[in-house]
Formats: sequence, C-alpha cells, structure tokens
Amino acid sequence: MKGMIPWLEVPRNWLDAFGEIGRFGLRVAGQVFSGRVFKFFGESLRQAGILVFGSALIIWAFVFILGLQCGLQGAYFNRSIGAPSLAGVFSAYCDLREGLPYAFGYILAAKVGTGIVAEIGAMRISDEIDALEVMGIQPITFLCATRLLGAWIAIPFLYLIGIGLIYAASYLSVVQQVGDVSSGGYLLIFWMYQSPPDLIFSLIKGMVMATVIVLVGCYYGYTASGGPIGVGTATAKSMVFNVVAVHIIGMLGTVIFWGANPRAPIGG
Amino acid sequence: MAGQALGQGLRPVKEVFEQVGVMVILTVRTLLAAVRSPYPYGEELVWQFLFVLRLSWFPLIVSTFALNFGAPGLQAAGILSLFGALDRLGGFFVVIAIRWIGPLVTAVVVAGVAGTAITADLGARKIREELDALQVLGVDPVKNLVVPRFLALMIVTALLDIFAIVMGLTAGIAAELLYHQPLGGFFATLFSNATITDLWASVMMCTMFGAIVAVVCSYKGMSASGGAAGVGRAVNQAVVISLVAVFFFQFVVSSVILATNPELQAVR
Repeated sequence: MKGMIPWLEVPRNWLDAFGEIGRFGLRVAGQVFSGRVFKFFGESLRQAGILVFGSALIIWAFVFILGLQCGLQGAYFNRSIGAPSLAGVFSAYCDLREGLPYAFGYILAAKVGTGIVAEIGAMRISDEIDALEVMGIQPITFLCATRLLGAWIAIPFLYLIGIGLIYAASYLSVVQQVGDVSSGGYLLIFWMYQSPPDLIFSLIKGMVMATVIVLVGCYYGYTASGGPIGVGTATAKSMVFNVVAVHIIGMLGTVIFWGANPRAPIGG
Repeated sequence: MAGQALGQGLRPVKEVFEQVGVMVILTVRTLLAAVRSPYPYGEELVWQFLFVLRLSWFPLIVSTFALNFGAPGLQAAGILSLFGALDRLGGFFVVIAIRWIGPLVTAVVVAGVAGTAITADLGARKIREELDALQVLGVDPVKNLVVPRFLALMIVTALLDIFAIVMGLTAGIAAELLYHQPLGGFFATLFSNATITDLWASVMMCTMFGAIVAVVCSYKGMSASGGAAGVGRAVNQAVVISLVAVFFFQFVVSSVILATNPELQAVR
C-alpha cells in the first residue's frame, strides 16, 4: 500500500501526525492541569527564563519587521483608494488582529519549536530520557510539561511587549516613511479601530499557537529516533507541521472572533 | 577592563557580521560554480526540484488558503460590508495576495518545509563526514550539492508563488461568496487594480527568497557540528535566519518597488 500515490504522502503523513500529536498533547496538558508538574516548578521557571533570555530579542525583531511591512502596505493601499488619511484602519487590523499572531507563530515555530525538538531529540538519542525513567522521574512531566508551563508563564508577556513594538513599527512606516498622514490623524483612526476585547482575542490566538508549537516540538523531540540524522529529520518535520498549524489556527481564530462581527466603530 | 567588557558585549554583533559575510561568500561561490563549466548538477537539480515540490505543495495550498481567507478575506469583507462596498475586495486582494502574502507565505513554507529538509540532509552528510570524503575524491560540494539546491529552490519558489496567488484569490472568492456577493464586482476591481508590475515584482521577490533560503540552509547544513544535537541545532538556526532575512528583504524590496512605481499608487 505504501508509496501507491507518492504525491499524496504528505497529506496522509500529516493526518497521521495530527492524531498522534493530539494524543501526546493531551497527556502533557493533563500533567500540567493535574498539578503534577508543580513537583518540578523550579525547572518550569528555568524554562521560562530560557525562553525570555534566549528567544525574546529575535521574536521582537521579527514582529517589528512585520509591523513595518503592515504600515507600508496599508499606507500605499489607502493611497490607491484615495483615502491616505485612513491608513490607521489597515494598520490597526493588520497589527493587532492578524499580523502579530502570525508573526509570533512563525518565529515561535522557528526558534522555540525547532529548538525544543533539537534539545529533547538529542536527549532521546543519547538515551538520557531512558536514564530519567530509570531514576524514577517521569520524563513527560520533567521535559514536556515543564516546558509547556514555562511557555504559559513567559509568552503572554512577550506577546504584550510585541504588541507595543508592532504598533511602533507601523507608526514609523506610515507616518515617518510614507508620510501621507499626520501623526495625530493616524493615531486618532488607529486607536478608534481597536478595543480591549480585540486585544484579548489576539492574545488568545497567540497563546493557542504557542501551546500547539510547544506540544509539537515536545512530540517530535520525544519520539525522535535514528541517530544524529534522526534529530535533524524530526526538527524539519516539526517545522512543517507547525507552519500549517499556525495558519489553520489563525484562520479559525479570525472566523470565531471576528467572522460574524467586524467590531468596527462605524455602521449600524 | 572596560574594553574587555565592551568586547564581550559586542561579540554577538561580530558573530552576526561574520556569518553574513560567510553566507555572501557562499552565494558568490554558488553563482560562479553555477555558470562555470562543467555542469554536473543537471540530474540532481531535477531531483531536488521534484523533491521540494512534492514536500511543499500541500502545506502551501492549505496555508495560503487559510491565511488569505482569514486575514484579508474576512477582516476586510467585514468592514467593507459596513460600507456596502464588498466589490472593492478585489482591489484589496491585489495588494494583499499578490504584493505581500503570496511571496511571504511561499517563503515561509519553503523555508519551513524544504529549507529544513535541506539543512537536515546536508547536516547529516557533514556529521557522517561524507562532505569531506567528496572533497577528497575531488568533487566540489558547492558545485554538486549547493548549486542544484540553489537553482531548484529559486525555480520552485517562483512557481509556488503563482500557486499561492491563485489560492489566495480563491480564498477571496470564498469570502465574497460567504457574504452572498456576486463575483462580478470582485473581478472588475481585481483586474482594474492589478498591474503587470505587481505580478513580476511578486515573482521576482519570491525567486530571491528562494535564493536566500537555499544559501542560508545549505550553509548551516554544511557547517553543522557536534553530534546528535548539532544537526537539530543547525536546522533551528537555519530556519530562524532564513525567516528573519526573508522578512527584512521583503520590507526593503517592497518599499523600493512601491515608492518607485507610480502606477501602483494611482486611484482606480
């Protein structure tokens, strides 16, 4: 049966992985929610610290570049419909609702997701995970659940600071680089087209992405096999899965939160 | 003492510059090896092309559809429906799907799917000392391994960009249909806003992204070291560097193209 239609191998493998990761992810989340992870609370804090000190700068730089792009495209689009002073509408929607979750998802998948696979995969290859089991420590709790809890501790704050940076970047490119609209006119429209619930929805989107990325990273690392080459292959596979997952979560989030109600301060 | 501390602090900056320099050298070497005879890489080029296409087509289609349906589709359709101007969505999709998201998602998917696979493959060969063996046999690894990947990725990203644009517009049509809108207005504004410049800029940008991803991922794979963790770490770094480079490059290129082509800003 295998290899009957090679071009369909990708979607089939992907569906296969989806089920496995779902089961694994529920197990890890169960370890966190049942409180068993708090036996290793120090390790969770250490993982949160690694996340902040190792990945924060690159995440913010990436988010900043996307903010520049959001402002640039918005400014030129609004010029082409003859309403350059309304560039703030585009930036507000692009920054908060769509751009930031996607940028966050991409760079988290690239930096944190593959990093976790490389780390845990190397432990699996050098039999350290078996050693943990022999020592009577649950490897899933110690390696995966602590990382999940660490991500939940650190990532909301990284995300909120990212919002500040992406706003600053859009302001720079709309007002300073293209310069069709005055600073006051831009900010008036910009702040009018967003509200606190939008921020909460955006944060939920980002956190769901982060959770999935960490779980996918843990799964591929935990099940890595086949020597040093296996770790590289597993890392590559996790990135494939994460790219698709980020987009699907982004679309579902938009449909759920803004699909029926655009939440704009105009119209009846 | 102070100088030493400064040197310590500047070390990451120095490393970044060193890495960028080495990658530029590799790019030039690849280009020279590609045009100088003999040309032993034909078969490998075809094989790599099919390999990348087979890996990428499914994630690309799902990702572009999801991103374009959620971000520009539903968000823009929501606010345009308040104005009763849903037919303008076509003009909006020129900006989003052709100028911005098409190349961006193609680059993200190719970096995440094909780039990681290239790094894992070359990294594994490096770890098993196959690259050194090739050199001993008098076979140039740049000419025989990097050049075919470089050319294949450039061709594939340009091709996939077209697919991304088609899927993006399909997602826009889906959003229009969701709002029970006849499609005539969508296509009318789409074709009156779209210019040839948009299309060639999009494809050209994407070709460059393919080159960037190929060089970064080949370099990281060929300089992998340190056993089991090494290949995984190489994949991690490769995908982070490719994403940041691609996003930065896209901002610069689209700034230049938008500012220097007045027909892109005309009100239609």
